[in-house]
Amino acid sequence: MNDLLVMGLEAAVLVAGLAVLLLDLWTPPAEKRNLGYAAAIAVGAILLASFAIVLPRPLAAFGGMFVLDEFALFFDRFFLLAALLVLVISVEFADRFETGVAEFYALILFALAGMMFAASANDFTLLFVSLELITVTFYVLTSFQRRQTQSLEAGVKYLILGALSSAFLVYGIALIYGTAGTMSFTRLAEAAPAVLDSRLLQTGLLLVLVGLGFKIAVVPFQIWAPDVYQGAPTPATAFLAVGSKAAGFVLLLRVLFTAVPALGPRWSRLLIVLSAVTILYGVLCAIPQRNLKRLMGYSSIANAGFLLLGVATLSRDGVSAVLYYLGGYLFTVLGAFAVICVALRHTEGEDIPALAGLHQRSPLLAATLAMAMVSLAGVPPLAGFFGKFLLLKSALMVAGDQPALYVLVAVAVVGVVISLYYYFGVIRAMYWPAEPVEQGHLPPIQLSRPLRWSLLLCIAGMLWLGVLPGMVVNLANLAAQTLLP
Amino acid sequence: MPADGHPYLFLALFAGAAVVFCLSLLGLARLWAMLVSPAKPGPTKNAPYECSLASQGDAWVQFRSAYYLYAIIFLVFDVETVFLLPFAVAFTHLSVGAFVAMMVFLLLLVEGLVWAWRKGALAWH
Repeated sequence: MNDLLVMGLEAAVLVAGLAVLLLDLWTPPAEKRNLGYAAAIAVGAILLASFAIVLPRPLAAFGGMFVLDEFALFFDRFFLLAALLVLVISVEFADRFETGVAEFYALILFALAGMMFAASANDFTLLFVSLELITVTFYVLTSFQRRQTQSLEAGVKYLILGALSSAFLVYGIALIYGTAGTMSFTRLAEAAPAVLDSRLLQTGLLLVLVGLGFKIAVVPFQIWAPDVYQGAPTPATAFLAVGSKAAGFVLLLRVLFTAVPALGPRWSRLLIVLSAVTILYGVLCAIPQRNLKRLMGYSSIANAGFLLLGVATLSRDGVSAVLYYLGGYLFTVLGAFAVICVALRHTEGEDIPALAGLHQRSPLLAATLAMAMVSLAGVPPLAGFFGKFLLLKSALMVAGDQPALYVLVAVAVVGVVISLYYYFGVIRAMYWPAEPVEQGHLPPIQLSRPLRWSLLLCIAGMLWLGVLPGMVVNLANLAAQTLLP
Repeated sequence: MPADGHPYLFLALFAGAAVVFCLSLLGLARLWAMLVSPAKPGPTKNAPYECSLASQGDAWVQFRSAYYLYAIIFLVFDVETVFLLPFAVAFTHLSVGAFVAMMVFLLLLVEGLVWAWRKGALAWH
């Protein structure tokens, strides 16, 4: 029974998901949309409950397979907050689904449970199961508008490439188990150096890296990201961009620093190259994009590269910077997707020029999107700037031991400068469109109250993390400390 | 296999032999075909074969796939049986925790069934 208490947060999310499915059966069709608010309230309550947890020492359950430490708790809160905002966006999007609104909410909750299990995974079995729970849920979420070819296309592409990457992952896990004789991260860390030196084990780890690289959209496993981001329903895209990517990173950090800490230095060169290539690919391919969601897809690839920069430092500061960056990324990206969901609902195809005159139709939407773009571009005083600053600082601090990091930092700075161009292109399209729109064609956009609060929360989050970073930096340091004591 | 050889040497040799064996058979068949039946394609020969009749219509027709729902719901009972049988056999030795876990599992399956039933998955349209 004690084991079940340790995973109480995850269990609560699962119960909430099942409750939404059951409530749907006795809810009149007109009210189904509001189940999303019920789900959001439940997630908010679980988020508040998570702050009541005090951990004098890490807790383990199910024979060490599941751990609850500060690192897991940081990500649990991260995922809960992301799901809360995504659920509010989903309610705005709900009238575009023909059927299955309640199932959409329930699937978001199930994906959330998978992400929270991933945050606590301390074993390759749980790693695989939680990752599959996330991925299989997203197969459905991405193809939810099944009468639209774009959404179906996104779902099929995600399914095929996702299944392929899962195959790599399982094969890698099999090789690791074959050589080390254990699935547990803790026991793998205690394995003899001869075991760690074996080529077979390293091949296995490389294949696991392929599987995780797919989740976080790192070059060369990024090919699905722009198409799926563009075709999927906007709330699903938002959750994919924030939750799924963070889940990939939490597992990558656990594997690198808990399971095979001794092998880290050998991997740093590979991580540095992957990071540099990913940053350059993301920013260069984003330049010609006209579709806003596709642009966000390439932007998310570039951000995966920046986050990987922090991982490649293999230092506690680097991990802490990654956590901080993810926090800022959450508010920024979810704010942007909330605006995309509402502002572009009447236009065909979510193109950037359709944003023209948004500041006259709804100043709040325009302000949120503008701030999100400024934050993504890494301009002070917003969250994105401080996140990038911490990442580059952590890289420069250890660059003496690994000179390749100097090159990586230079590449990252070049990437930031290039990205200014397309992020500010979005702002220009809103405030100074190429073809001025006439006043009469601009009906004001009505915002529901929960959405307005969510947008204000995103703005507050971006400002808070950019101006007063102290508290979140402390949280991130605390979480990174459990990983790298 | 030499005792001092690499443990995977045997596997490599085995894989090589398997590939060579398959390729040689394929090559033989090809050689035989070249000697005995040279290719002479014609419109009749290239036509799709369907029980010696000329094929009619398009092969891309829609099949009724409503049965898949029954198959999926059947899985509920299928999985239930797989776990219920060992549960019943070991019942007297089980702890309270195991009993509760099993009940949670059954509840989850029943929840799925209730959901599908209410959604009309068992009604034949």
